[in-house]
Formats: sequence, C-alpha cells, structure tokens
Amino acid sequence: MTRTFEEFPGVEWVEGTGDFIKVDDKKCDGCACCMKVCLAGCYEIEKKKARIKSLEKCMECAACWYVCEKGAIDFSWPKGGTGYRSDWG
Amino acid sequence: MEDYDVIVVGAGFGGPVAAKKCAEAGLRTLIVERAQVPGEKVVSGLVIPFYGFLFGPDFIMNGNPPVERPICKVVNRFVRNGKIYHTNSSLRLPSPFALGYAAYCKPFCTWLADRAVEAGSELRTSTAAIDLIMEKGAVKGIITDRGEELRCKILIDAGGTQNNLSIKAGIRKKYVPEAMELYMLWDFQMAKEDVDSVFDLSMEFFHGMPEERIGAPLGYGSTFYIFTYRESIHPGLGQFLVTEGKVPDLARLLPEYFENFTSKVERWKNDIAPKVKLRAVMWDVCPIYAGLLPDMRKMPIYGDGMLIIGDAAGLEASAFGDGVPNAWFSADIAADVAIEAVRAGDTSRNFLWRYESRVKEHPYITYITADRRRWDLRNVLASRSEREFRSRINDHWGIGAFRYRYVGKPLSCSIAQSLRKDPLVMARWVEMYRRYYCNWVENKFDKLSTEN
Repeated sequence: MTRTFEEFPGVEWVEGTGDFIKVDDKKCDGCACCMKVCLAGCYEIEKKKARIKSLEKCMECAACWYVCEKGAIDFSWPKGGTGYRSDWG
Repeated sequence: MEDYDVIVVGAGFGGPVAAKKCAEAGLRTLIVERAQVPGEKVVSGLVIPFYGFLFGPDFIMNGNPPVERPICKVVNRFVRNGKIYHTNSSLRLPSPFALGYAAYCKPFCTWLADRAVEAGSELRTSTAAIDLIMEKGAVKGIITDRGEELRCKILIDAGGTQNNLSIKAGIRKKYVPEAMELYMLWDFQMAKEDVDSVFDLSMEFFHGMPEERIGAPLGYGSTFYIFTYRESIHPGLGQFLVTEGKVPDLARLLPEYFENFTSKVERWKNDIAPKVKLRAVMWDVCPIYAGLLPDMRKMPIYGDGMLIIGDAAGLEASAFGDGVPNAWFSADIAADVAIEAVRAGDTSRNFLWRYESRVKEHPYITYITADRRRWDLRNVLASRSEREFRSRINDHWGIGAFRYRYVGKPLSCSIAQSLRKDPLVMARWVEMYRRYYCNWVENKFDKLSTEN
C-alpha cells in the first residue's frame, strides 16, 4: 500500500516502515530543534518533550538526528522496500 | 565460510561502480539496496560535473547513461529588490563540450546497477542492512532488516550520508550538524522547447544580499539555483543545519524563501512561471562541509574488513555541493583494494589502510572536499561588499573557478595523469562528449532493466 500527500507531490510513501525513528524521553530536554528542521512535520512538543506525531511524510533525511545535541533521537532505516520513493529526485 | 567475497551496501552512485569492478575480477559480489528500485530514494538536484566523466570509471565514459541535459553554461544572476542588476555567464563551453550533465537519480543509479549485475554482481533490492556481524572487532558481514545474516570477506559501505554502519563498526562518528546542509528542491514540468528557449544548455544561480531572502536563510552558504533537465526544471535551495551555533527554523524558512523567490524575482515571474507546472517537492541532508571540519576530516574511511566510500565517507565536493564524482573515484579505489585484499587473503586494517592512502593521493578527492569557497561566502555576505561578492561568485561559478588554486590544480594534475596512462585519452574525451550530446539530441540511451 502506498500513500501520497497533496503538499508533497511527486513522492509516494510505501507503508510498513516500522518505528525507525525513536525519541528517548529521558534524554530529551525539549529544545525543539528536531521540530525546527523537520520539513515533514513529524514532531510535536508535549509536556516539554519531543514526541513523534507521525512518520507518514518522513523523507528519511535524518536532520532531526543530526541536530539533537542530547542524543535523544535514534535513527535507523525503515524496513527494506518501504518509506518514501520518487521518480524525480 | 563466507557467503560472498564482497558485500556492497547501497546501489546509489558509488556502490554499483565498486561492485562491477569486484565482480569483473571474479569476486563473489552482492549489492544490497534498501529501495525497491536503485536510485528512487536518492534525492538530489543533480548536475554531475564533467571531471567525474573524464577521470572516473571507463564504463561510464564509454557508456550511454540516461542524462537529462548537457550543461554548457553557468548563468549567475545578481538580484536586488527582485530585479536582476548584474549577470555573469563567463563560465561556458561550446556544445558538445559540457561542464556537467543533469540527471534524475533513479534512472542513472538503475543504469549503474544494471552494469554491475551485467558484470556478475548479485543485487538484492528492498533489503536494508541494519546491523553488522562483528567478530573480534572486525566486520564479517551484515544483518538485514529481515534478520538474515550475510557473511563476507570485505564490506564496502556505500550506504550514503545517513546510514550508520560505520558508526556501529566503531570506525566513524555521527556527522556534526555544522557539516550538514538541509536542502529542499522542487521539480517543475516544462515543455522541452520552453526549457530550450528560456535556458538553452545552461543552469542558473540567483545571488542576493541577505535581506533579499531568496537564497539561503540568514544569507549564509548557498544561493537559489535552477538546474535544467530535458522537459523539466529543478530549482532548490539549501542551508546549514546550524548557523552561528543555532538551529534555524528551517521547516518554516526554506518554504518561505522559495515563496519569496517565486513571488518577487522577475525572471521567474515573467519568463518561467507561465510555462511550468509543479510536479514534485522533496528534501534531503548531505555532509557538504565534512571535508572542512578537522574532526570530521580525520575520521578513518576504513576498518578491519570494511571500506567506506562516497557520502558515507564524507567525500562531498564542499564548494559544489556534489558528491557523485568523488563517489565514483572512491568506489574505484575501494574495488581495487578489495580485490587485492581478497587475493592476498588479508582483509585486516593493516592491509586496508592503503585505501585511505590512495584516496588521499587522488588528485581530486582531497582537494575538492577541502574547497572553502562556498563556506567562506558567509564572511563576504557579512562584510556586505558587493564588489567582493561578485568577485567571489566569479571565482566560484564563473571563469575564475579555473584558477590554479581552485579547480585548476586537480584538473591539470588529472589531465597529466590520464595522459601518462593513455596518450590518446584526449580523443576518447572528445568522442565521449560527442556521443553524450548525440544521445541527448536523439533522446536515445541504454535501455534500463526497469523498462519493459
């Protein structure tokens, strides 16, 4: 099954990625840097902690992982053959 | 007993080049690729510079890969209040000679992977390498997302920027955000005759002072670019993940700057907008400045049983924001070393150090990863000297780029090296340019395995 979104034309997301990005509540200090660099809007801040709202529009760029000074974000690959894909990259 | 002599992780631009050479040498070679089709997860506004084709693997120079447009000219437009007040198009070549070739990643990477498979390499798509098999500190294979263990004598990590296998192996660390650029790009359909008449065989850069708010947010590091393809154009802009110690609100700023560009800059509004239709919006992060930061540059690109190439090794051309030629060069060297190591029966780091040493000796790789021109633009913009800004752009995307201290040195060294190997290489270069140009005019390239 694939999904598309109007605001990001030309890209398809194949379902079944699994939770390939995780936030460790204990390490997160709520700085919101992950939210600032996520063009897919995957993050929200709840009770001064970053939380993944949804990975459905994630382009697997890992910007959130790079900017997290506290090392609270764990980034790995989605399952093979899932996640975003495009003919126009 | 190993399942393979060599496992290559990633069928992007570098992986298939390494796999093809290993397979041709008779090594049992496997490529694992996490996408369903090679290249469909590679996001890039891409004009591959000429030096990759001239000094890279012969099969690319002698082949017919799918290119979107030969780029013969760079047009630099200086913008103030949305108007173009100065244009520098001093960097140009007459066709069929080209400064680079625009390409979509999916067909190009598929073409490369097809060549590796043709040479005898196995290719497993929809397979993510998520962990390593380690024994006594040495890499002995990979574990896939399905839990399968695949053993090899040497692992070539061509998994791109974000993959963390080299971190798991204890060889490298995560890139620092100062080394990284987040870039956003748009793909617009445009009739070929319109691309031909508006741009011809050129790509365009738009430069402005920070208050113009069209290029890089906060005015640092980058400009707004438009790459031109066969029947489409590919504008984009990028920005450091960290500027002056802070993480800018890029999720808001990148779309805002694009909106400013398209609503204010007359060149876009009058000449381009009426002729285009938005087709795709994408973004990605790449380690453009890894070669400029000492801690990042010092990280090894090999370990026991493992060689790291391309973006995974931080080998981006820091001034151009491009990693393809360096991925090809490093893949070629990695394959040579892997072949020698397998034949010698020694894949320890004591043997594999020669990979890093050959990468460092390569006339292009080290030079081009340490090119400060784009990084230093921030100081020029801070000084607000228009004259200095124009002069720096001329040295970056104008004829001044060929100065000896910029690309003149690696270019002349590489030409000399190529001539020593083959005195007739010039004729082959001319033949390549002619063939690539004719292929583009006729829209005829090698058939891809994904085509019916």
